[in-house]
Amino acid sequence: MADALLVRARAGDPDAFAELVRTHQGSVFSIGYRMLNRRDAAEDLAQDVFLQLYRKLDHIESLEHLGFWLRRVAANLAIDWIRRLPHTSTQPLDEGAAVEAPHREEDPFMSRELERLLGELSPSARAVMLLRYQEDLDVADVGAALDMPVNTVKSHIKRSLTQLRSRMIGAKLVSAEELS
Amino acid sequence: MSENFENELRRALRPVDAPAGFTDRVMRALPARRDPAPAPVVNELPAQRLMKRFGIPMAFAAALVLSVILGQHVADVQGQRMAEEREAAGLAASRELMQALHVTSQKLDLAYQAVKTPPPPAGDEENRT
Repeated sequence: MADALLVRARAGDPDAFAELVRTHQGSVFSIGYRMLNRRDAAEDLAQDVFLQLYRKLDHIESLEHLGFWLRRVAANLAIDWIRRLPHTSTQPLDEGAAVEAPHREEDPFMSRELERLLGELSPSARAVMLLRYQEDLDVADVGAALDMPVNTVKSHIKRSLTQLRSRMIGAKLVSAEELS
Repeated sequence: MSENFENELRRALRPVDAPAGFTDRVMRALPARRDPAPAPVVNELPAQRLMKRFGIPMAFAAALVLSVILGQHVADVQGQRMAEEREAAGLAASRELMQALHVTSQKLDLAYQAVKTPPPPAGDEENRT
């Protein structure tokens, strides 16, 4: 039973907790990296999230709940950090510090541009887009994670997609036909 | 919005790997021991939770309703008693009046009889003397 890992971690088994970290670190780090646009800040944020998890393990009901909890805390903590340290949201993604994204088959330049354009969205809109398209949460779960009404989530998604699409076309990275 | 673009976005936003050694870094940063678990919450029935939350206002409301109903009842009983007393007093007065009229009627009859009866003849008086 997968939840046995959670039970062992709760009981103080460090190997079990390390396994939980390994399982979810990519997701948590990616949220931090794409929200804050800095690799070092993303590492600090991810570590902070897992330390919070360590303290709150008794409140986690299941592995499914754990995944949702980590995404929620990571996204909200990142928004909080951006508001407290505004410069983190405007810096470009670390040059020369490309992170590994396994099994990518698409155009890396296009991906890089999309990530860069994503960084131009407001923190809340960025968090919505990341939870929706990176973490593949449905709209209701995105709303629950960010304490946001579903309609607000939908309008963030619609506006952000329009904005990203027009920027991509404007920068001649793609043609309108390709994205239609 | 086109599905192509959303798919492109999904591909571009695939989760990336955390830096090497990240797990070790987290494990080293963990405090020596976790905070003790919070005291277990006693499972309460919904009714108990409602009582805890709304018990006092509900008790006040019930007391208010009860006192209104009780007051109404007392007022009704008092009103009924007063009506009965008034009715009894009226009956007694009526009986006394009837009795008084009866007595008066008898006295009038006696007086009428006395007036109507002829006085005794005058010769009788002389024979006696």
